[in-house]
Amino acid sequence: MHDIRVGTEDVFKRQLELAARNYELLQNRKVRAFNVMGAIGSGKTLLILRLAERLKDKGLRVGAIAGDVAGDDDYQRFAAAGLVAANLNTGDDCHLDAHRVGHALEDFPLGEVDVLFIENVGNLVCPADFPLGTEGELVVISVTEGDDMVRKHPKIFAQTDVLAVNKVDLAGFVGVDPMVLVDDYRRLNPHGKVVLTDARSGRGVDELLGALGL
Amino acid sequence: MHEYSLAHALLQALTDHLREHPVRGRIRAVHVRKGELLILSEEALAEAWRILAEGTAAAGSELQIERVPVKVRCGSCGYAGPVRYSTDEGWHFAVPVLSCPRCGGRAEVVEGRELAIVGLSVDEDSSEAG
Ligand SMILES: Nc1nc2c(ncn2[C@@H]2O[C@H](COP(=O)(O)OP(=O)(O)OP(=O)(O)O)[C@@H](O)[C@H]2O)c(=O)[nH]1
Ligand SMILES: [Mg+2]
Ligand SMILES: [Zn+2]
Ligand SMILES: [Zn+2]
Ligand SMILES: [Zn+2]
Repeated sequence: MHDIRVGTEDVFKRQLELAARNYELLQNRKVRAFNVMGAIGSGKTLLILRLAERLKDKGLRVGAIAGDVAGDDDYQRFAAAGLVAANLNTGDDCHLDAHRVGHALEDFPLGEVDVLFIENVGNLVCPADFPLGTEGELVVISVTEGDDMVRKHPKIFAQTDVLAVNKVDLAGFVGVDPMVLVDDYRRLNPHGKVVLTDARSGRGVDELLGALGL
Repeated sequence: MHEYSLAHALLQALTDHLREHPVRGRIRAVHVRKGELLILSEEALAEAWRILAEGTAAAGSELQIERVPVKVRCGSCGYAGPVRYSTDEGWHFAVPVLSCPRCGGRAEVVEGRELAIVGLSVDEDSSEAG
C-alpha cells in the first residue's frame, strides 16, 4: 500500500466563481441584492414585504426571488404585494446555490429593480456554505423557535453579519427573552448587527433597513 | 444536509483526475481536506461516499477527512493566522470567531472553507487479485 498525493479542484471553487459572476452582474445592473436566510417560518417573507414597503416609500423599486423546496406560496405573496417576483424551486435541495441563482438572474428583469431580496430555503444549517454573490446577507430567526437557536446553529451566525430576531411581539407568550439570542450572537460575531423586529406591526423594520445599509 | 451532492462532486473530481493520472491497484482510502467552517457532517459525508463510490474506480474506498482550522488575514493590522474560539459551555463545540485576535478588527477568511481531495492510499497488490 502506498500513498499518492493528488490535488483535485476544490468542490466549492466553481460555486465561488459563479457567486463572483452573480456579484458582477448585479453590480453592473446596479441592483443591490441581499441573501435572506433563516429558520423555517421565522418571518423571512413577511420581513421582506415590510422592508419593501419602506423602500417603495423611498422611491426604490424592489424585487424578490422566492427560493423554496417546492410550491409558489411565497412567490404569490411577493407578486400580490406588487414586487417584481420570481419563483425558484430547488426540487429537494435544502439551500440555494450560486448556480441556481445565476440562472434565475438570467431570466429576471434586473432593469426593473433597484433592490433585490433572495429568500433562501428555510434552513439554518447549510445556506451559509453557499454564497450567492449578493452584497449583503441577513439571517432571520424568531423568538418562537426558542432562546437556544443561536447556540444550536452557531456557524451560520458566526458568518452572517446582520441578524433579525423576529416575532418579538410573541416573546412574552413563549417565555423567551430575546436578549439571550442577542447576547449569544454578539459573542459569536462581534462585527454583526442585530435588530429586534415584529414584522406584523413593522416594529424594528427601519432599523433593519439601516443595518442592511439601505 | 447536502453531503450527498458534495460527495458526488468529490467523486466527480476524483474521476476526472484519474482519467488523466490513472493509478494501478485498488484505492483503499481517499484523503480529503475539509474546512472547519463548512457545515457538514463528516459521518454523513463518509457514508455518502461509500454508497456513491460503488461501481466506480473508488469502490470500497474509505473517505479520510482532515479538518482544516480557520485562518484569517486582518486588513487593519496585518495579522495572519488562526482565530479565537468561542467555547461557552452552552455551545456544543468550539466556534471560530471570525475577527482578528490581535486588534479585534474584521478579518478575511483565507482558510477554513475548503473541500478537496489531497491524496490516495493505493493497494497495488490487490489489482491482480480482484
Ligand atoms: N406574531 C408575529 N407573526 C409573524 C411575525 N413575522 C411573521 N409572522 C407570521 O409567521 C408566519 C410565517 O411567516 P413567513 O414570513 O411566511 O415566514 P418564512 O420564514 O418566510 O417561512 P418559510 O418561507 O416557510 O420558511 C406567518 O403566518 C406570518 O404572518 C411577527 O413578527 N410576529
Ligand atoms: Mg417564506
Ligand atoms: Zn443544503
Ligand atoms: Zn447552468
Ligand atoms: Zn488585526
